[in-house]
Amino acid sequence: MKRWIAILAVIAIAAVLPLLLSPTGYWIRVLTFTLLFAAMAQVWNIIGGLANQTSLGHAAFFGIGAYTSTILVLKFGISPWIGMFAGGFLGGVAALIIAVPTMRLQGHYFALATLAFGEVMRVIANVWTSLTGGPVGLSVPFVPPSIAAYSFKQLLPHAYIALIALIIVTVIFEAIRRSAMGYRLRAIKENPAAAEVIGIDTTKVKLQTAVISGVLMAMLGTLYAQVAVFFDPDTVFSAASISIRVALIAILGGVGTAIGPILGALFIIPVEELMNDLFSSGAAGLSQLIFGVILIAVILWRPRGFITVFDSLMARFSSKARS
Amino acid sequence: MSKTTSHRGGLSRRSLLAGTASLLASPMIVSSARAQAKPVNIGVIMPLSGANAQFGINSRNGIELVADEINAAGGIKALGGAKINLIVADATSTPTTAGTVAQRLITQNEVTAILGAFASSLTIAISEVTERRDIPLLTMSFADQITGRGFKNIFQIVAKASALGKAQLDYTLAIAQASGAKIDKIAIMYEDTAYGTAQAAGLRAAAKAANIDIAMDDAYPLGITDTTPLINKLRASGAQAVFPVSYLNDSLLLIRTMRQQRITIPAIGGAAGYVIPDFEKGLGEFAENVLSIAPANYDLAPDLTERFRKRFGYFMVHEALEHAVALDVLVQAIEKAKSARAEDVTMALRGAKFTGGWTKAMTGGAVEFDSTGLNTLSVPVMAQWRNKELVTVWPKDVAKGTAVWKS
Repeated sequence: MKRWIAILAVIAIAAVLPLLLSPTGYWIRVLTFTLLFAAMAQVWNIIGGLANQTSLGHAAFFGIGAYTSTILVLKFGISPWIGMFAGGFLGGVAALIIAVPTMRLQGHYFALATLAFGEVMRVIANVWTSLTGGPVGLSVPFVPPSIAAYSFKQLLPHAYIALIALIIVTVIFEAIRRSAMGYRLRAIKENPAAAEVIGIDTTKVKLQTAVISGVLMAMLGTLYAQVAVFFDPDTVFSAASISIRVALIAILGGVGTAIGPILGALFIIPVEELMNDLFSSGAAGLSQLIFGVILIAVILWRPRGFITVFDSLMARFSSKARS
Repeated sequence: MSKTTSHRGGLSRRSLLAGTASLLASPMIVSSARAQAKPVNIGVIMPLSGANAQFGINSRNGIELVADEINAAGGIKALGGAKINLIVADATSTPTTAGTVAQRLITQNEVTAILGAFASSLTIAISEVTERRDIPLLTMSFADQITGRGFKNIFQIVAKASALGKAQLDYTLAIAQASGAKIDKIAIMYEDTAYGTAQAAGLRAAAKAANIDIAMDDAYPLGITDTTPLINKLRASGAQAVFPVSYLNDSLLLIRTMRQQRITIPAIGGAAGYVIPDFEKGLGEFAENVLSIAPANYDLAPDLTERFRKRFGYFMVHEALEHAVALDVLVQAIEKAKSARAEDVTMALRGAKFTGGWTKAMTGGAVEFDSTGLNTLSVPVMAQWRNKELVTVWPKDVAKGTAVWKS
């Protein structure tokens, strides 16, 4: 009961926060990207946290989603809302295609195979100029603002859409974690051979998680395209700024927990922005250097993620409440 | 004791008087100070880290030079001597970051205009933000899309990539002809970025129009580590001239491999990596006589560009020069509009012709934007490496030297 009140309170705060920021301003853009990256890291968490498969190729699905919905708007005038589901479908297909050969791989080998897949998608988007516009990238056309056309003059609606997306993927993550599938995944994570012995179809379960994660990641790609308005192959298929970053957010926050990716994004995205704001007019690259040092310090301080800070705070709070 | 007290009393009376006087005078001082000191914020968004950092820093240097000169000469006169306050920000190499930075400068710093951001993809991302907020964006990025989307608040100071590609070929043919050589077979190599592909498309179209056989037309990934296969293919193609379009590292690798393998056909670079001091530093004697297209060159206005060399210790590379012109034009527009409001400045920029100051360094000798925001007066030039300097060798009417053509 108490738990639910706490969750509702957090959602209420998150729902009010965007209203306090200037609707055309800078911080609302930062907030929107923070929520979006939290959602992306949560989606990564389904495969990376629950199935323990460290994917470094999630940019592939993300980019497929961004390109699908944008191409559908540009060529056929189809609303990005519909394009989002088309992208989700293609993202799922791509996840299936890559999952079949890579599912047997574990640890580093799986990570490297997925990394390569993201790169392959980047090269395809660069070369297939007639469809993707090539290296020049695509601009999302500005159509008269309406909810149906997913077009707004201000960033406020985008912030709420990102918030709703984060809530939905977090609920999905939690639902999987608590379901029979979640138990199977945990069994596979602990000991794949033992899981097989007790009758779990490990390949099937891993495929299911991969496809769910791929579909959701592609759908978030559409949201990103609508906010950023312009993207090129290097942006959406980027290993560093998408694939590795979502993994980093989840790992820094606390892998395998529902709160971890949210904590991670709340830290990484605003701090990165702040560093750029404070230091980028000074020596070149100084902001990234400082940001990197902060990241290393945080990881040394909390190797298991921010979730451990959160947990100890909660423990202290509840013990005080009891006494 | 009492003496001290009276002394103190006297002091306080005196200071009270002085204080009253200064208080009475202060409204005038404050108001005149405010009228003079309200600086005009101008955003500068450049890639200051990552692969294009060197170009971003060059651009920033050019802008800082002009800003300091204008401020030292009394600021913006129409605004009571208001100083230019540059707000420099790092766009990194990610378009989304560039867009976020633009948003920040517009809302947090209330900039009048933005200058940036060298790489076309960054500029396009920024323009999506500035267009929605009606802030003028002045750029020297080449991509055709920049002024090809019907945006109202964008100003492209140089010729477009397709025009550069066309000039790269047409000028080369003219130079070869002038020295009695004939070209009927060429090779094109370009990196698969927005800049590389757009300029290669211009080259290709010009070659088709001139009935030139393209014996090799290869894209390669940015940051290529082994160019031997490309060079072998070049040797086999029998091309009489090669047109590489690339940033710095690839340009060094390509030319070095070529010359080491004793392929001596003329190389005509596509600006970017071919027209910065590091090119000569990296290649030494191999750089001599390499040609390159450029949107502008410093030797056309040495009286202006030598000031850059004096301050920063290297010649004024074209991105620094064009950004200097962009800031000069922007300040002229603010003077004309007598306002630092973004909408007024955009109005003043559109359709007007800007002369004098740094605009003399551009090929047209002035800057004039058409309805799309493109500077119609800018014509590319061909430059050649001669003894560690870049000499403009074509078009003939502006050339500072004769091209050396050895085939």
